[in-house]
Amino acid sequence: MPARPVVKRLPARRGLFAGFKGNVDAITIGLKYLVDPKRITLIYPNEYIKLDPGYRGFIVLEPKKCINCSSCARICPAAAMRMIRRMEEDPKTGKKKMKLWPVINYQRCIFCGYCVDVCPTEALYTVPYHDIVYENMAEMDWGLETFVKPPEYPTAKEGIPVKYIVDEEKGLVKVRAEEGEEE
Amino acid sequence: MSVWVYGEQKSELGLEGTITRKIEEDLYEVFIGPQHPGSGHMRIIIRIDGDIIVEADPDMGYVHRTMEKLAEGREWIKNVPLFERMAIQDACNVTVSYIIALERILDIEPPPRAKYLRTLLCEINRIAAHLYGFGIFGVFIGHSTMYMWSFADREVMVELAERLTGARLTHSYPIPGGARKDIPQDFPQAARKAVRYFRRRLEEYRKIFLDNPVTRKRLEGVGIIPKKIAAELGVVGPVARASGIKYDARLAEPYDAYDEVEFEVPVFEEGDALARAWVKFEEIKQSLRIIEQAVDWLERHPREAPIHDRFWAKSPPLWKKVFEAEGRVKLLPLMANMKLPPGRAMARSETARGEIIYYVESDGKSTPYRVRIVSPSARNAIVFKYIAPGYKVMDLPTIYGSIDYFPPEADR
Ligand code: SF4
Ligand code: SF4
Repeated sequence: MPARPVVKRLPARRGLFAGFKGNVDAITIGLKYLVDPKRITLIYPNEYIKLDPGYRGFIVLEPKKCINCSSCARICPAAAMRMIRRMEEDPKTGKKKMKLWPVINYQRCIFCGYCVDVCPTEALYTVPYHDIVYENMAEMDWGLETFVKPPEYPTAKEGIPVKYIVDEEKGLVKVRAEEGEEE
Repeated sequence: MSVWVYGEQKSELGLEGTITRKIEEDLYEVFIGPQHPGSGHMRIIIRIDGDIIVEADPDMGYVHRTMEKLAEGREWIKNVPLFERMAIQDACNVTVSYIIALERILDIEPPPRAKYLRTLLCEINRIAAHLYGFGIFGVFIGHSTMYMWSFADREVMVELAERLTGARLTHSYPIPGGARKDIPQDFPQAARKAVRYFRRRLEEYRKIFLDNPVTRKRLEGVGIIPKKIAAELGVVGPVARASGIKYDARLAEPYDAYDEVEFEVPVFEEGDALARAWVKFEEIKQSLRIIEQAVDWLERHPREAPIHDRFWAKSPPLWKKVFEAEGRVKLLPLMANMKLPPGRAMARSETARGEIIYYVESDGKSTPYRVRIVSPSARNAIVFKYIAPGYKVMDLPTIYGSIDYFPPEADR
């Protein structure tokens, strides 16, 4: 078995100057970051994070692809997705028919992405943002009209898109989103 | 007549440590929490004589959400996002053993790629959770630099997890038979950079926190749990390992890829708050090693869907197309109300705070008959009762922070 327990000992703190050295070390490090601070603060909403396309943000329906199968509503762990009935005219026969359509309630959604992954026709997709403010709770319960188009993203209109990239020296570095692409 | 409130129980257990002096009857009762910033969502009722704690009574349950009962009304896979909410910064570690239990009932084994992916996320989570613990610990004892640093550095791990899964914290990553997403193309590079960064950064952590004489003075010799007592109280995780108990679920019963990657389980024998901090510190280093190995392995092996054939072989071509384009594993609609064969299984995994155990029983329906969760924080909470007495009130935050107690996980 490759994993093995290893008994270690706490570093000893002996000698006359041990405490002195510890203090000097700690203060030196502190001073280093006082002079050259490492800041990753996001100046929101003047700046906003441009998330990767794989990010699980708001979910949007493409009604053309949807086959009204209810899988998404069945797998939803938060009961955010539900099916509504609609009378619709069949384009071929012209007869009226009852159809089921998914709608989503963003008061409940936990952005687990199960619905997107389970949809047999990829009729649902996620947009890479989630910071949208609503004036009241009722607005968060989307109807079918809202669900079929990506929600407006007001932050993107005003803010500067930034990205965090992993850096060897500084951990995370905030860069303008365009520069972040090459990383 | 003086009241020897704690003495008797203490000698029964054979506990040593600072012996309190005899207490006159006028004890003060102090309620620490649940609003106290240093207590989290719990209350510790302590009785003090002067400045010495003579009795401590952890009063838990403020964030009890009846998770075990809720689980009985939800389909198997829907419990993953629920259980995640026990410890969101440790999401993969706390849910992976539930998934392993389900796999045991289903009698399937995930493919190696899925195992490595889960292990990778587990270790990313472990580092993030340890840093979270360090941050809280730091601010408990008044070291706000540590708080700021570790929360900023935790962001590196959160960023990696986000690239891997698409969510910052509640990843809902493992599914029965596999994992939900493969690594993106640029992930190995970013992960290696993060590992190199942390190696260097941890040295600075040591200088400013662990080896800082001010911190050491507050941690050394505080909250000593002797090995025998640790075994008797049944503590787990870093708390047990700081008392010299060589126990780790990854070691005792390797799951996922842990029997293939090489790492050490650091054990300290001192048993005090400082040793507990060092265990976590050393564990971060080992987690970095595992991340490196997992990323190497994933890069060396061909990209194929990290899910058991049972959920993949008969899937439509669209499934493969999506996997190739985005690395996303699509789920079969049967996942939603999959029926498990009747049976029972138990599985354990090592979370950042210790071992979590799931006992899952199925009676052939699409929902569990019973899910029993034993979470590490629930087992470690007993430390307050038996270890805190004898120390000063000032030492309580140190003890609290060093056992890294996490109420939502303990209360479930
Ligand atoms: S993301 Fe999860 S919670 Fe939200 S609608 Fe889809 S399945 Fe339901
Ligand atoms: S799973 Fe997809 S196809 Fe089925 S109802 Fe939902 S959106 Fe439509």
